[in-house]
Amino acid sequence: MGAPFDITYVFGYLPKLLSTLGMTLLIVGGSLLVGIVVGFLIALPRLYRIPMLNTLARIYVSFFRGTPILIQLFLFYYGLPEILKLAHLDISKAPVLVFVIITYGLHTGAFMSETIRASVTAVDRGQVEAAYAVGMTSYQAFTRIMLPQAMAIAVPVFSNLVIALLKDTSLAFSLGVMEMTGKAQTLGSLTQHFIEAYISLALIYLVVSMTLEKLLLIAERRLLRHEETDSTGHRRFRLEQKSSYRRMVASVDAGKGGTEV
Amino acid sequence: MKLDPSFIWTALIQLLSAIPTTLVITAVSVTIGFIIGLITALLRIYKIPVLSQIAAGYVTFIRGTPMLTHLLLIYFGLPMLVDALSAQFGWSIKSSSIPMIGFAFISFSITAGAYMAEVIRSGLLAVNRGQLEAAYSVGMTTPQALRRIVFPQALAVSLPNLSNSVIGMLHGSTLVFTVSVVDINAKAQIVASTNWKFFEAYLAAAVIFWGLTLLIERITAVIEKRINLYNRGGVA
Repeated sequence: MGAPFDITYVFGYLPKLLSTLGMTLLIVGGSLLVGIVVGFLIALPRLYRIPMLNTLARIYVSFFRGTPILIQLFLFYYGLPEILKLAHLDISKAPVLVFVIITYGLHTGAFMSETIRASVTAVDRGQVEAAYAVGMTSYQAFTRIMLPQAMAIAVPVFSNLVIALLKDTSLAFSLGVMEMTGKAQTLGSLTQHFIEAYISLALIYLVVSMTLEKLLLIAERRLLRHEETDSTGHRRFRLEQKSSYRRMVASVDAGKGGTEV
Repeated sequence: MKLDPSFIWTALIQLLSAIPTTLVITAVSVTIGFIIGLITALLRIYKIPVLSQIAAGYVTFIRGTPMLTHLLLIYFGLPMLVDALSAQFGWSIKSSSIPMIGFAFISFSITAGAYMAEVIRSGLLAVNRGQLEAAYSVGMTTPQALRRIVFPQALAVSLPNLSNSVIGMLHGSTLVFTVSVVDINAKAQIVASTNWKFFEAYLAAAVIFWGLTLLIERITAVIEKRINLYNRGGVA
């Protein structure tokens, strides 16, 4: 199968694959934006226990966590135009990339909402009560008191979501989007040097995900800088483990096997 | 194209025949992955020189790259390796004799192993150190202490995460269509393109996967309840 192994191809492919890294990152960035917005929209009804919407949000999360992303991609690619046709909207001419970003966005949104929910509930209830006691409105209490603390707790899980998303984008080729994996396949079939193409692809993914992890680690340190100089000895977060252990638990908790993928 | 609700049911019936393939791939990769994960986790916890670094590298590499690349690397790389080795040593094994599903088993087991390693490692670290010390103090050897004291507790702690890994592998098994194994996803593709009803076919596939996922979660909840019967309070 294919031509004999030749290590020089691995390096030869790197720049060619890097030219499509932008597409991969565009999908990641676009769907993260959609995901954060959707995640908040889904998490808020569940946090404030709004009757009807609460149940709908739960079904939404269950569906997106309960079905493979690959199935969702096909489902939205073929289904969305039909559903929107009922509302007299014709998007069947829209580029594939739009469907891909919407699907990944909705998928990430489900996981994001769980992250947001978990981290908001992890902030001590007394914090909000104290905010109310000094006369803040519930909006102020949420944005000024809850959010900054919740964000610091959420970063490790968020970082894993981003990396999981990066890895999931490798499936976008199945709808014909020319991102890194699609490019690697094309390069492989052009020259019959499949294995070299995929090694070089794996290397790029590895470097990108390690970079993302490092960046988000810096973000976490910044967000937690008030915690580390906390001299009173009281821990404000309920997650009482050391940060390295907390990150490991978070990485395991994201629940995406490869799914992770 | 017009939505045809009755075809969803038809597609669902046709997809049922592909469920065993998906489940077999998931079961095999999770089982072998668990063994790999256990070994990897122990290597890292006991900080065995060289091997623990290799284990850490393995986990980082697998977790940093998509599952699809693992599958493709194994699919294209393994035959090359096998053929080269059999030419070298005069074995009679031919790469063409490896069934397609074998590639999926091998690659997904490697993937699952890395994810499971982290799950098991966090479970083992969650067990109170005093438990191990107590086991030593009553005269148990290390394997005894691990098997009788640490593992049961660690498993109880990591059960939710293990179930997540199983679900992850179930969802990941949809990738086998790239090596032309017919699982639920590939079957949906076939049903969809022969009837030209894509949305309905994938909807049926989504329903099946949703059902399977809920089933795994339900089973986990039952096991968790059972474990907690003997485990009131304390370390876990």
